[in-house]
Amino acid sequence: MRRIYQIDGEETECWLSHDGRSMILNTPDGAIPCQLDAAEAPGGYTLRVRGRTYDMRVAVGPDATFVHLNGQTFAIGRVDPAERLAGNDGGAVDDRIVAPMPGVVVSVNAKAGDQVKEGQPLLVIESMKLETSLTAPRDGVIAEIPFAAGDSFGLKATLAQLAPEEE
Amino acid sequence: MTISKLLVANRGEIAARVLRTARVKGIKTAVLRHSSEQEGPAHLIADEVVTIEGSTPVAAYLDIAQIVEAAQRIGADAVHPGYGFLSENAAFVAALEKAGITFVGPTSEVIDLMGDKIRARAFVEERGFPVAPSAIEDDDPATFVERSRTVGYPLLIKPSAGGGGKGMRVVREDGALEAEIDTARREGERYFGDGRLFVERYIERPRHIEVQVMGDGQGNVVHFWERECSIQRRFQKIIEETPSPALTAEQRDEICETAAGIARAVNYRGAGTVEFIYAQDGSFYFLEMNTRLQVEHPVTEMVTGFDLVAEQLRIAAGEGLSAAQADIAQNGHSIELRICAEDATQDFRPAIGDILLLDEPRGEGVRVDSGILDGGKVTTDFDPMLSKLIVHGRNRAEAIARAREAVQNYVILGVTTNTGYLDAILAHPDFASGDVSTGFLAEQADTLTAPGEDVSDLLMAAAALSDERLVSDVMQIPEMHRKMGGWRN
Repeated sequence: MRRIYQIDGEETECWLSHDGRSMILNTPDGAIPCQLDAAEAPGGYTLRVRGRTYDMRVAVGPDATFVHLNGQTFAIGRVDPAERLAGNDGGAVDDRIVAPMPGVVVSVNAKAGDQVKEGQPLLVIESMKLETSLTAPRDGVIAEIPFAAGDSFGLKATLAQLAPEEE
Repeated sequence: MTISKLLVANRGEIAARVLRTARVKGIKTAVLRHSSEQEGPAHLIADEVVTIEGSTPVAAYLDIAQIVEAAQRIGADAVHPGYGFLSENAAFVAALEKAGITFVGPTSEVIDLMGDKIRARAFVEERGFPVAPSAIEDDDPATFVERSRTVGYPLLIKPSAGGGGKGMRVVREDGALEAEIDTARREGERYFGDGRLFVERYIERPRHIEVQVMGDGQGNVVHFWERECSIQRRFQKIIEETPSPALTAEQRDEICETAAGIARAVNYRGAGTVEFIYAQDGSFYFLEMNTRLQVEHPVTEMVTGFDLVAEQLRIAAGEGLSAAQADIAQNGHSIELRICAEDATQDFRPAIGDILLLDEPRGEGVRVDSGILDGGKVTTDFDPMLSKLIVHGRNRAEAIARAREAVQNYVILGVTTNTGYLDAILAHPDFASGDVSTGFLAEQADTLTAPGEDVSDLLMAAAALSDERLVSDVMQIPEMHRKMGGWRN
């Protein structure tokens, strides 16, 4: 069963299998036999990997799994490759700027047809009284910016769309 | 008079904290809740929850007429404003006075005076307390350049209409002064449509040190010592402690007595905080006075043993202060960490999400003032601060060690928080040695957000094995295929 996991913005494709004795997570770096057992604390688990055990807290959200390990908290985004293919009508992930949180558009600094450079500010949004500038993820041409200054948007709304890259 | 029923006109952790003390004192309690707001800890503590309406939740908490009407309707004889919202709003105090309801705080005149930064500064300076040397162009435009020179270098030029650092210029030598004034004026005109300027002495690597004061409104004022609040991001404090590691005993007495003197000069009533800019050479200057309880008041409670909300309620009821200055001592060391829903690696961008798992740290010397419940939602409706973790130790090193252990054991899953970032600050050698300034977080940004040990294979294993659907699908694959390893769907 293939899965794509996102950690700190980096995607890794893995698949989980079972060899009759234990679960195996197959990563680009190799196969890792692993076992996860529930522990006493709320959300507590013990992970066994390569002969070592790790105590952790785990919570499974709709799109991401959250792990508390060694005093640190991590979010692991989960992408089902099948769903990504099926729902791939909005262009590649890199072509879209998706709202990181709900908010209001403060200003729009580019328009459809504009040639933009990676890192160029495209629009400024405000959420929780803080302004954030959203920048182009790569060089390209703007296909659409569906919002105008003053418009409200929800979480994960597409705020800007780049035209597909020519192969 | 006695207070028989208290309305807390606030929400989140501070509402819960005020309500706890009111309950201990045997006072009936009520708290506000916006119609769209989720249940929080305060709603579970209060005897009564009053629903308020507004186009946005924040607007409802700022609606003076509605809140005063609510207080009257439920028969509250006093209102505690917490911090933020209407806590420093003179019109709110006046409206309560008119309705015959006691405001737990200072008079509207003092709020008015201290709320106007220019007037407050002039008031403090006229009475002989230290303010940063400055020159205001409006006072006499013809002599502005001359007066700027006498402020001394380095100095900072600021647009009078400004804010957010725009148009500010640091000048280190006299030769550059006039050219920089011209540039700053152009920038002021461009950004604010107003070229008027003022200059003040530029303090290099300053600390932010503040003093907790309390007055009975009858001329008695005491201080509860200082708090060091130099660890700031986006001009907001995120770690506070007391005692300040920067002060000698003599400096501590001097700055605390200065603060008490300023409070005496306005015959202060209630809890207040006098904030100072503290320079590396030990000089300090009045910055502003906050006429309310501060977010960071718990560190003062931890080292002095006083419940500051209980003192506020005593004073509001006309019972005066419970202690004289000689009774107020600092014992040990306390540190507060503000737990915020934000991503420290993305310029402190606020985060939202559902709280899927909440497990707060406990233990000796650990206090959590929380505004969230397990299963709650973190939205953009309010400030990103979720809770405060406060620790006490016999000395600073023990307090830091306890703070680190507690913040590492603070489990909040489902929304990104700054717990790991706060731990990185506590672990920094300059924080340990106390060598910090208000610029510390910006100067050390790369170190503090550096990625730790790569544990991504452990995380992916945890994500895969906790995914019940995935595991069940894998287990249903026929034995033969499973044995082939590397089987792909």
